[in-house]
Amino acid sequence: MVDIQSPRPIVEMRGIEKAFGAVQALRKVDLVLYPGEILGLVGDNSAGKSTLMKILTGAYQRDAGEILVAGQPVQFKSPHESRDVGIEMIYQDFALCGNMDVGQNIFLGRWPLKGPFVNRRAMYAEADRVLKRLKVDVNSVYQKVESLSGGRQQSVAIARAISFEPRVVILDEPTANLSVMATERLLETMLELKRQGVAQIIISHRLVDIFAVGDRVMVLKRGEYVGDRYIRNTDEHEVLEIIVSGTRETALTADEARGRRP
Amino acid sequence: MTPTSPSLGRAPSQLAGSWEGGLLVFIALLYLAGAVVNPTFFGSTEGLHALLRDTSRVGIIAVGMTFVIVNKDLDLSVGSTYGLIAVVFARLFAPSFLDFGIVATIILCLLLGAAIGLVNGVLVTLLKVPAFIATLTMLFIGRGFVLALTHGQAIYYSGKAKAAPLFFHLGETNVLGFNNQIAIFAIVAAAGAIVLAKTRWGYETFATGGNEQAAVYAGIPANWVRIRAYLISSLSATVAALLAAAQDKGVTPLYGVSWELTVIASVIIGGASILGGRGGVVGSCLGAALVVLIDKVLREGWPITRTVVIDGESIAVSARYTLPAGAVLVFLGLLLVIAVLIEPYLIRRQVLARFWAWLRRHPPPPAMEMGGVALEGVQTKGAMAADMALSATGLGKFLARRDALAIILAAVLWLTGVALRPDYWWNLSNTFAILLNYTELALITIGLTYVIAAGDIDLSVGAVLALAGSTAAYFLKVLGADPMTAIAMGLVAGMAAGLVNATVTVGFKLPSFIATLGMFYIARGLAAWFVAGQQLTGWTEGYNLIGRKVSDVLLYFDVAPPPGFIRTVTEVVSVQTVWMFFVAVVAGIVLAYTPFGLKVCATGGNLRAAAYAGINTNRIRFLSLMLAALCATMAGLINVAYFRSFNPVAGQFRELDAIASVIIGGGSIFGGHGTMIGSLAGAAVITLIRALLQLNVQGFTMPQHWINVFIGVILIVAVLIDIWVRQANILGTLRARFARRAPTGAGSHG
Repeated sequence: MVDIQSPRPIVEMRGIEKAFGAVQALRKVDLVLYPGEILGLVGDNSAGKSTLMKILTGAYQRDAGEILVAGQPVQFKSPHESRDVGIEMIYQDFALCGNMDVGQNIFLGRWPLKGPFVNRRAMYAEADRVLKRLKVDVNSVYQKVESLSGGRQQSVAIARAISFEPRVVILDEPTANLSVMATERLLETMLELKRQGVAQIIISHRLVDIFAVGDRVMVLKRGEYVGDRYIRNTDEHEVLEIIVSGTRETALTADEARGRRP
Repeated sequence: MTPTSPSLGRAPSQLAGSWEGGLLVFIALLYLAGAVVNPTFFGSTEGLHALLRDTSRVGIIAVGMTFVIVNKDLDLSVGSTYGLIAVVFARLFAPSFLDFGIVATIILCLLLGAAIGLVNGVLVTLLKVPAFIATLTMLFIGRGFVLALTHGQAIYYSGKAKAAPLFFHLGETNVLGFNNQIAIFAIVAAAGAIVLAKTRWGYETFATGGNEQAAVYAGIPANWVRIRAYLISSLSATVAALLAAAQDKGVTPLYGVSWELTVIASVIIGGASILGGRGGVVGSCLGAALVVLIDKVLREGWPITRTVVIDGESIAVSARYTLPAGAVLVFLGLLLVIAVLIEPYLIRRQVLARFWAWLRRHPPPPAMEMGGVALEGVQTKGAMAADMALSATGLGKFLARRDALAIILAAVLWLTGVALRPDYWWNLSNTFAILLNYTELALITIGLTYVIAAGDIDLSVGAVLALAGSTAAYFLKVLGADPMTAIAMGLVAGMAAGLVNATVTVGFKLPSFIATLGMFYIARGLAAWFVAGQQLTGWTEGYNLIGRKVSDVLLYFDVAPPPGFIRTVTEVVSVQTVWMFFVAVVAGIVLAYTPFGLKVCATGGNLRAAAYAGINTNRIRFLSLMLAALCATMAGLINVAYFRSFNPVAGQFRELDAIASVIIGGGSIFGGHGTMIGSLAGAAVITLIRALLQLNVQGFTMPQHWINVFIGVILIVAVLIDIWVRQANILGTLRARFARRAPTGAGSHG
């Protein structure tokens, strides 16, 4: 696996298993993510994409397997613990408080203090800085989030995530509720994050988006790993074929596939 | 709407081996226990007959309520609808009033019942007012009407009743030896059971209660389904009221008081889920029988032998031990709180089936659905008002504040008072008398602001006020405790009530309105129980100091304030007002400027987002509910000190006032908003309205009952303004439409 990429993966999941009652949601799934890499996670509904990510963030507990973050084995009991080591998840519905303003949302739950009071000046200044770093334009950090459009809300959610200075950002269906324009802007934001060395996992049904910004795409099917490919070595057709007819037995890793391809 | 083939009958699984079967066994056992304890009453067939007769009316309302609760709604107004219809029947029919014919009377009563149901339904569905707040207000309005129409007195019409034997025979025993009401109950229950379990109407009800959005997507007219349920519920209450009229041939203003508690407890015990989507009419009817039976056991008491000493001779006298006033209410309230826990914790987890399997050493049945993290559904709030405050300047900026309405209203109302009665209003002592009334309400409102901002509700504040006051009075008067002990015990009682509220809401994850509704009855019942329904008075003046004017307190400690301005101030300012403002300032600063306050708003704004951001939302909600109880407790302690006595009706309707204050003051009934200044201004609005309505203008004063009706209407209007003007920005939409722009509703964003 040692390659042109950075030699040490930031996230490594090995042999992850998870069952909900009688349903085996994940079967011996492996996942590797390198710093600065954008990995697309695709598959049909109920393929186990979200479950795998929830196990990574600690929202679910795995039945078997191990997770290493920057080489260290970890066992997250809740999303708060994974955040402490730099893994951030952005939910499909953004998880923002519409009744509060942009600045308050970016610092949700960890508002800066000045004595016993919230340091509003520092909060809004820092929020503005984070938004500038992302190169998103929100009219004002004093604006209530509920009055923002879907795309801008998404930007606030991402700004919130990166204000934690994460090493890994997971986006669950980030473009599902967005307009074409907003999607464009989001993809730019993702590339901006990549330039800053943040690894990203994007769960999406829209292969177009993954092919626009991704480095690698990994396919899950009925809870099993059925292959991954470098974006530059593949096309949408091949990925679709893996999604539809791939099996565990015929699975190829990205490096193996690169070797075979003419 | 046509029932399916009658040959199938009711599916066997619905009765045998299920919750309903267990209920039946339990009722039989309880009845046997009642017969052992009190054979004179329960041992006779008359006892059984009386039980069935009294179950009939409760059961008929429970049939209607089942539809509402399965729809994930709630109808708190049934008790007062029942009372109101009975009163209206009396007013229409009684020869001393309108003297209508029987047919016209019945038709008008049915129309009124349908109208109440329609109002409830429209408020809850089309106008999007939360069910508990809309129907609670209807409860208070209905009660106000009952008192106003009866003037607090009973109306009888037994003479004229003989002229319409066909109708009045419905409330009497028939030739077969049982009461006709039981037959009507059986018919209503069978019809309700078939409609709910076997027709499209019923299926639509379950779908709407299970997942309203999915039901709408599937083309089910969810709003109509919910309105229909409210109509059924109100009409059931109407039918029950007509039966009561037929039976008693008269009415008292106490008809149907706290019946909503009995009925909701019945439906929930019958296996319906307060979280919607589950329930059955047969279960509800059995639940009604159980609740009525428990009520009877508690009220009938049990015979005891008491030794009475007369002229030095001991004589054994057979007496009857009955529970004191309020005790029944306490037990029914407890029953409601326990019953709402039954469905999610017993039925859904199949505890009984597992226990049965464990007893027989069988493997336990498979778990139903284990789903992932069962977080409360994502809160979607639809179109929201644009952030007008950003673009506006000066006056516009003030008007865009959520609490602007309350501040303006308070000023306008005060000026109205000046205009109406300048002689009386423009007077320092009157101002401070109003301030005194204001203090109690404002103190409660402070705590409630936190609860509402955190997305919960506390319906028990008025009752907790009474509980704390009653406890303190009991310790002072009956036990002769010193003031500090009395205050401490009052605080313990009030905080215990808050602890129960918070534990049931946060710990057991039940909606706060149902937990605090239970406490509403429990605390008020306990308050009446402690003082045995009487007014306690006469204790050490040292306690009363917390409700006195500053000058009185100084006098008590033999300090004479210097004459002049300071003395004037001490003669009009009360200790509790000073204390209230102190609490308000601290609570206001905490809410607006500290992380705790922001956490409260975040929790109320989006519970899931707040939890994900690392906020301990359970702790926030728990503390908010505790704070509300603390504020109500302080208000109760001060109330007793101020009046130098405890009256069991203390704090009545205060929950209505306090909720209205918070909502007028910019709080949102859906949580996430609320400021202390706004809430205090809202409390001022309510206080001023009450003061204005009581004002004697040219010899006319408004009776107290009408004032409560009026406050109820104001609460509904405030909630509607909050939902439609502040949040949906209906004014902005209209203005945009008139300006021929795109009607987007939510202002300017790209």
